[in-house]
Amino acid sequence: MRFTATHGEATHEIDVTFDGERYTVTLDGQKHEVDALLLEGNIWSLLIDGKSYEVDVEGEEEVTVRVRGRVHRFRILDERRMRMRMASGAFSAEGKQVVRAPMPGKVVKILVREGDSVEAEQGVVVVEAMKMENELRAPKAGTVKSIAVEEGALVEGQAALVVIE
Amino acid sequence: MKRPFKKILVANRGEIAVRVMRTCREMGIRTVAIYSDPDRASLHVRYAGEAYRVGPAPSRESYLRIDKIVEIARASGAEAVHPGYGFLSENPDFARALEEAGLVLIGPPAESMEAMGEKTRARRQMIAAGVPVVPGTEDPIEDEAQALEYARSIGFPVMLKAAAGGGGKGMRKVDTEEAFPSAWRGARREAASSFSDDRVYIEKFLDKPRHVEIQVLADAHGTVIHLGERECSVQRRHQKVIEETPSPIVDAEMRARMGEVARQAARAVGYVGAGTVEFLVDADRNFYFLEMNTRLQVEHPITEMVNDGVDLVRHQILIAGGEKLSLQQEEIAPRGHAIEARIYAEDPDRNFMPTPGAITYIRQPGGPGIRVDSGVYSGWTVPMYYDPMIAKLCARGPDRETAIARLDRALSEYLIAGITTNIGWLRRVLAQPQFVSGDYDTGFLDQAQEAIAASMKGGKEEVALIAAAIASYDRQRRLAVRSTFSPSEHSGSKWKLLGRLRTLGRGV
Repeated sequence: MRFTATHGEATHEIDVTFDGERYTVTLDGQKHEVDALLLEGNIWSLLIDGKSYEVDVEGEEEVTVRVRGRVHRFRILDERRMRMRMASGAFSAEGKQVVRAPMPGKVVKILVREGDSVEAEQGVVVVEAMKMENELRAPKAGTVKSIAVEEGALVEGQAALVVIE
Repeated sequence: MKRPFKKILVANRGEIAVRVMRTCREMGIRTVAIYSDPDRASLHVRYAGEAYRVGPAPSRESYLRIDKIVEIARASGAEAVHPGYGFLSENPDFARALEEAGLVLIGPPAESMEAMGEKTRARRQMIAAGVPVVPGTEDPIEDEAQALEYARSIGFPVMLKAAAGGGGKGMRKVDTEEAFPSAWRGARREAASSFSDDRVYIEKFLDKPRHVEIQVLADAHGTVIHLGERECSVQRRHQKVIEETPSPIVDAEMRARMGEVARQAARAVGYVGAGTVEFLVDADRNFYFLEMNTRLQVEHPITEMVNDGVDLVRHQILIAGGEKLSLQQEEIAPRGHAIEARIYAEDPDRNFMPTPGAITYIRQPGGPGIRVDSGVYSGWTVPMYYDPMIAKLCARGPDRETAIARLDRALSEYLIAGITTNIGWLRRVLAQPQFVSGDYDTGFLDQAQEAIAASMKGGKEEVALIAAAIASYDRQRRLAVRSTFSPSEHSGSKWKLLGRLRTLGRGV
């Protein structure tokens, strides 16, 4: 089965076969023999060409992978879904994007105004939750279409804060 | 064994509640937990002998409800209350309410809390007691123009601090005269919202300041001892991240002088119990009183580790029971080196955003010289309502280098799945040359921030990609296998299903 993984500009092609015991994985043309065990709590014990790793994989298409204290995030699709996505054009962070509160909290500061143009990853609003201030960033470059909250407002988790188009 | 109380209520949650109850168990004292609704399944509730609901999620309606906590303590037959740190631990009203109800607070008298709680009053009292303080205003300043004039007279940079403050709230460093007005207003606003008190005072900003604190123990019979220092200069936004003892800059002579000043400070306010006197140390190793924390500190375990395993909570309990301190200053001789890292449910890649959620798996580190004080377990959901610190990991070794290597090794063993934590980031901090050299101050994390972030990039990306591909492949194959079974067979015998999946080379 063939997979395509993307994060930012980078794309990786991954080919996976399974013989009932072991996996053969070809990543960007490089072939690896992998012994994989799925353990309690969704932890994978991987022996990749004999090297031992413990890996935590979360999510289905948008995956978060934790290995040796580092976090990797990317999108992974198999060939069939990839073709479907390409055809429907809904692949990247295109169109309207909504910045949402990750959890209930208080809007401490709004860093942009309606009509501002923003870069991808630029901070747009600061929300205080769990005694910490968190800067929420623009998922893409664009223009601030609307701001749904005021400074000082209490917001629920997943509440829409800023719309960027 | 001495057992001054038969039953103690712990008015806290998380790792510190468990920490306190551990000592209670060792002393044969029964324990009572309190919990808010989202904490019903928390470790401290499972660990306690008894547990009672105190209210809904918000702290204000649960862990800060003095009336309810007093009521639960009385109804459960507890004789004493341990407040932990945070929440009501430095609240004199709580101390008085317990006293009125005939309960013992395992902590200092309300008067000591008050004397140290208001920062400008504490400064005045320390000056009177001959304790060195950072140059600054004796009283809060009301008028902005007057404040600016004072700042000019001591010279920039200056620090603005909330009179009622603590924990970094309402605290601003001001580098220039131009930046003063907005910082002044910001500090007052933050002070007002955090402490309902907008009074602010000014201190001289010390060059390359280090944050070093002294642990003290005082009994009700006039004995005050100190147990050496903790170096707490690794801070992010005024929050401590890594602490170690001894401090790389404190030698025996300086330790003795600081310890003496800390004892003096404790005596000046009639202190009883375990407390911590915080100092700022400048580049020339002059030290100045900063504040006194009238409670057990988060980082107390490293002091216990280098002092022959002395149990500070046990001493707190014995002191609260009226016992005389069994330790003498002459006996105190810290040995070896200990270091603590605070494990947070937060994502360093996303500006340290808290990451509440379900922990699907956890493997605690172990081995030589390791201590874990944890408040979590596999399957528990980290609630979104409280401080995101989930555990403290401490390492001890004969010397600094060994202790750091052990902490790094233990961090590499610490496996927490389901939520993102700062474990990987902590390892990068330990690897920074400035930290390794020991020559760091409170500006260290700010300066090293980018170097740390850069060293977080890359890593085993190919392993992550292979893992994600295998996980996707495995999921789809299992879905395909399931759909070939009839529903009756599927629900009828899980064992049969398991057997068939096994013959296909795959566990469930």
